[in-house]
Amino acid sequence: MTKQRITALTDVALITCVVQKGMADEVIRAATGAGAQGATVFYARGHGMRERLGALAVAVDVEKEVVNIVVSSDQADRVFERMCAAGDLSTPGMGFMYMTRLDKAATYVPPEILAAVEKKEP
Amino acid sequence: MRYGDFVSKAAVNYRVVSYNRLTPKPLTDATGAEIPYTPPQVRLRARDVIRLLTPYTRVRFMDQFRAVIPLAAYLAFFQAFIFQQPVREPWTVGAGFATVIVGLMMFMEGVKVGLMPFGEVIGDRLPARFGLPVVLTVAFIIGVGVTFAEPAIGALRAAGGAVDPARAPYLAYLLNHRTFELALAVGGGVGMACVAGSLRFIYGWSLKPLIYLSLAAALWLTWKLMSDALLNDLIGLAWDCGAITTGPVTVPLALALGIGIAAASGKSDSPSAGLGIVTLASLFPVVCVMAFGLWVASTTPVSALPAPGAPAAAAAWFTRTPFAELLSAIQAVGPVALFLVFLLRVALRERLKESGVIAYGIALCFAGMALFNVGLAYGLANLGGQAGGMAPAMFTRVDAVAESPVYPWLLGVGIVVVFAAALGFGATVAEPALGALGMTVENLTNGAYRKKFLIYAVAAGVGLGVAAGVVKIIFALPLGALLVALYLLAAVMTFFSTEEFVNIAWDSAGVTTGPVTVPLVLAIGLAFGAATGSDGFGILALCSIFPILTTLSTGLWIQWKVKNSHL
Repeated sequence: MTKQRITALTDVALITCVVQKGMADEVIRAATGAGAQGATVFYARGHGMRERLGALAVAVDVEKEVVNIVVSSDQADRVFERMCAAGDLSTPGMGFMYMTRLDKAATYVPPEILAAVEKKEP
Repeated sequence: MRYGDFVSKAAVNYRVVSYNRLTPKPLTDATGAEIPYTPPQVRLRARDVIRLLTPYTRVRFMDQFRAVIPLAAYLAFFQAFIFQQPVREPWTVGAGFATVIVGLMMFMEGVKVGLMPFGEVIGDRLPARFGLPVVLTVAFIIGVGVTFAEPAIGALRAAGGAVDPARAPYLAYLLNHRTFELALAVGGGVGMACVAGSLRFIYGWSLKPLIYLSLAAALWLTWKLMSDALLNDLIGLAWDCGAITTGPVTVPLALALGIGIAAASGKSDSPSAGLGIVTLASLFPVVCVMAFGLWVASTTPVSALPAPGAPAAAAAWFTRTPFAELLSAIQAVGPVALFLVFLLRVALRERLKESGVIAYGIALCFAGMALFNVGLAYGLANLGGQAGGMAPAMFTRVDAVAESPVYPWLLGVGIVVVFAAALGFGATVAEPALGALGMTVENLTNGAYRKKFLIYAVAAGVGLGVAAGVVKIIFALPLGALLVALYLLAAVMTFFSTEEFVNIAWDSAGVTTGPVTVPLVLAIGLAFGAATGSDGFGILALCSIFPILTTLSTGLWIQWKVKNSHL
């Protein structure tokens, strides 16, 4: 019997960012620029600030894009800040983001990179 | 200290606030029951309002900016450097284009938040409440209404002044005196298309027989008009009307309605649902306009037509610039908005959520339409007219241009044809509706037909169409005969193509003619026709048939290639 091999990654964090429809690409570009390796986008409808803005509600789209990005804990804060700035989240109605610690993650890691890492710190 | 902490401390000023200090504490009334929390309205500082509105406006502004400016720049460049004529009234033209961009931006946003919700709710609820005859009647009326709300239809009115009544009496009469009935005929065609499209959704009809039938009627009427020298000029107008109708208001609203009706009647939506309605909405009005022209000709003899130049009554206040455009905007958007509100509140007894937002949308529609109409006259029609009026000076003697002909005859004609083809190609490649259609095609054909491929096929078709239109004007070719021949060819190719592809190819003709391209091409054609002394209509008609041909032929080619690769 061959044992299944899984490479589990630790020191990972999840950044979730909710922005208006059409804004996700810009946020992802900022995150990628700061070193994030990938992103998942899904669509949602939001509720919150828009209902409290009165007439200005017309400027806020109900439809949202939710961006999920998994990052390493070292880069987490930097990616978080870049995304926050790119999404202009300090402007009312633009969106919301948060970060959570993850226990572990798994995905494809190129073998040569894995080998290089293991050679450096066995 | 962790490396990540160090980097962020160095770059950003953090202020950490406990969320506990921001959320409300539960309140209880005298009996100890909890009072539900209602969030208070947020009062924004002026700075925050600006920060909120800037991205909202910028995105919408840039959408239109990207569609309009390249075309305008291309025209101005060509006129200045190739035609070697300065752009007259550059400030007026520039302001006109700015007005067009702002107007379109407001209008499109208004349609999105003010009119679209109605289409969806009505398409959803109406079939559940009423029988098929009522639903189809409503679809017909909405079809007529949205035609009036189509920005490009205003270009027809602007075109009326450029027609010489002595040469084409009925054309001038229809455009100048019967504009409303003319638009009604176009609207009637779109209304019928909405009905036929809805029926098609419900019963799953094939598009091919509908195309053959309406084409047979259209070609028969074309042939009838061709045999009458006085009515010959109506052919171009009628076929151009077909291209004008399928704009950014009609297509989405008719689609929302049709899909809603089909869904309510229990038909699941297939990927090709929604295709085909554009085709019908561009063929039926052709038939209606020609029938209307024949009817006018049979009831009003030429001698009874009002004398040219006579009707110019004293300019009342409502015919002057801001008022006239505002009035025509209210005429255009008002009826359809009122009808939708009436239908929803009285017939369906429904209320839309956020009625304030809807009102804002409808107000934006009015304002945007009025601005667009102003910009249409001073920007689009002005620049298009200049370019069209100067183009003949390249190869022939024109009084307005001192040094004409600028080039030897053959080179001049070549330059003008290349100019026309590039204009058509460039205007189409950037059309956003075409990108959406391309995505649908890629899905439908499992990637055999690429999105880029469709865009280039259609754009090449439009380029060929504009070039063919210019050639037609230069050599005064008979438009009717051209159209009959080309559409018969299209019918033959339709016969051999698959159902999906027929839908795509015929729809591609409709999506290409947006609210910027139509007035521009129309103005170029009319000025060009006036300068060379021939009929200026018909370019848009050729812009519709050529993309159908290029798309059908590439489709047949791909069909053949896929078949061969499996042997």
